[in-house]
Amino acid sequence: MKFVAVIRQVPDSESRLKIDAGRVDLSSATLILDQMDEYAVEEVIRLQEKHGGESVIVALGPERFEEAVRTALAMGADRAIHLVQEGYLDPITQAEALAEALRAEAPDVVLTGGQQADWDSQALGPAIAEALGWPVVTWTTALELEDGQARAKHDLDEGAEVVRVSLPAVFTTQQGLNEPRYPTLPGIMKAKKKEIRKIPISAASKVEVLEQSIQERSRLGKVLDGTKDPHAAASELIRLLHEEAKVI
Amino acid sequence: MLMAVLTNDQKMVLDMVRQVAREVLWEKAPQYDESGEYPWPQLETLAQLGLLGMTTPEEWGGAGLDSVTWVLAMEEIAAADPSVAVILSVTSGLPQYMLTKFGTPEQKKKYLVPLAKGEWIGAFCLTEPHAGSDPASMKLRAQKVPGGWQLDGVKSWVTSGGQAQVYVVMARGESGISSFIVEKGTPGLSFGSPERKMGLHAAHTTEVRFDGAFVPEENLLGQEGRGLAQALAGLDSGRIGIAAQAVGMARAAFEIAKAYADERTQFGQKIREFQGVGFKLADMHVKIAAARALTLEAAAKKDRGERFTLEASTAKLFASDTAVSVTRDAVQVLGGYGYHREYRAERYYRDAKITEIYEGTSEIQRLVISRELYR
Repeated sequence: MKFVAVIRQVPDSESRLKIDAGRVDLSSATLILDQMDEYAVEEVIRLQEKHGGESVIVALGPERFEEAVRTALAMGADRAIHLVQEGYLDPITQAEALAEALRAEAPDVVLTGGQQADWDSQALGPAIAEALGWPVVTWTTALELEDGQARAKHDLDEGAEVVRVSLPAVFTTQQGLNEPRYPTLPGIMKAKKKEIRKIPISAASKVEVLEQSIQERSRLGKVLDGTKDPHAAASELIRLLHEEAKVI
Repeated sequence: MLMAVLTNDQKMVLDMVRQVAREVLWEKAPQYDESGEYPWPQLETLAQLGLLGMTTPEEWGGAGLDSVTWVLAMEEIAAADPSVAVILSVTSGLPQYMLTKFGTPEQKKKYLVPLAKGEWIGAFCLTEPHAGSDPASMKLRAQKVPGGWQLDGVKSWVTSGGQAQVYVVMARGESGISSFIVEKGTPGLSFGSPERKMGLHAAHTTEVRFDGAFVPEENLLGQEGRGLAQALAGLDSGRIGIAAQAVGMARAAFEIAKAYADERTQFGQKIREFQGVGFKLADMHVKIAAARALTLEAAAKKDRGERFTLEASTAKLFASDTAVSVTRDAVQVLGGYGYHREYRAERYYRDAKITEIYEGTSEIQRLVISRELYR
């Protein structure tokens, strides 16, 4: 069987981004393999370990994406295909270009991040499935293969469902799908010798970015007075943490 | 920044090490300091990632990494947990280095491979209760017996004593001092309990006793009578690791102080805005940057295959001095909180002091440097 992870390189969520002349300036940002895509890489390696076959990394993006591709290879994937194009491409255009490369590879399973951390889009996985005419399962938290079919559990807004789809199919990841491994030192050394096939492309973006800005966040400054009725204040705090902040 | 001159592979190694250091080592370091437990789970994680044999050649189970990357990786590990860092520095910088350099193919296969893979930890036995800075005065005897040697005597301050599976031991025989490979479990080999130390609680240090311990012929390491020279060559390499460990501790304490000075307000302003604190932070930064540069210089010289005794001692002397002064200043910046265990600064201060002592005191480094200047 053949398993493909479609990956992207994005700014680390901890890096501070700057806007320069209406454009995000990535020159001082730390760029990493998208953490949602990391689940995809881990899953294709696990599927290969379980079912045999091949694990392949496919990426579409500028030359700098190679670092993220190498990281995925260091984690243990066999080889990679990198469609190289500088500049912005909207997810639908990306999906069309990726679909072409994927069709040629003819994998059984394609996995990609449930969300793209840089432009916060969730479109890439479903758009790839659409372009290929394959089924898609989004926000996957468990995946089992059996007789040319897949049984998958995926998150819904307030719950989850278990589905069966025929292969080939596209799955997008959700936290909880697996625990991505660290690349090992021997893995990093071996990754140097693994194949990255570079294919220059020139797709025309259907969406043009005119200007970018960063949302300024400020604190709400909400203070609960616990001096008069500490019980009521504590209950209110729990309610706010649960319903508004959604952290508990 | 330095990152700009690193290759992509070096960056990938450091990214991995940084992530593991932050997620695995940093979290548990205070617990290990409190309990004084030997950090086996941490070492197993590092072993699985191939980090216990970073510079040992690939053909002997290591990763064949250059020393520059090793130094940067050591800094990250030491910043997260200095005890784990010294165990790692000793096992790879001393026994693995000596086996790589002086071992026979059979010895490499039997001992170096499991050490490099991190299946085993290695220890280095040079110091004795009455032979510290003057190792040539060692008393541990190696007596020739049929089929090998019999060792009698005591070694002290052995990092990973009792935990390590392989001991590289320097002992005196008829033709001078020689190095021997001794396996844990050898009859006549025993260990003291872990010493009660000021810092580095998780990195066990014990006495190692030899009471008629038999070492077979094939476990002589390198040339007979060349043991002291071989050990000193090992220490040149080990000192680069200790310098990196010192830089890591200094950096971690500095980062704690830097963050604290930005949050703490007194007299209506952030304390970093007081020149007394701001200048202190500036000096700490400069010392760390200089110590790191010296350590990388020694590593780069080693990578080029040149003699690096002078550079290793220079780096070790300056970096250990930096570690002690920066960690002390970090405690000072935090004031009362710096003295509190929860804020971690005091632990780095306690851990740092030993870097001025082990693998050659600062005085011995000055002795080495002053001699190397006229070499």
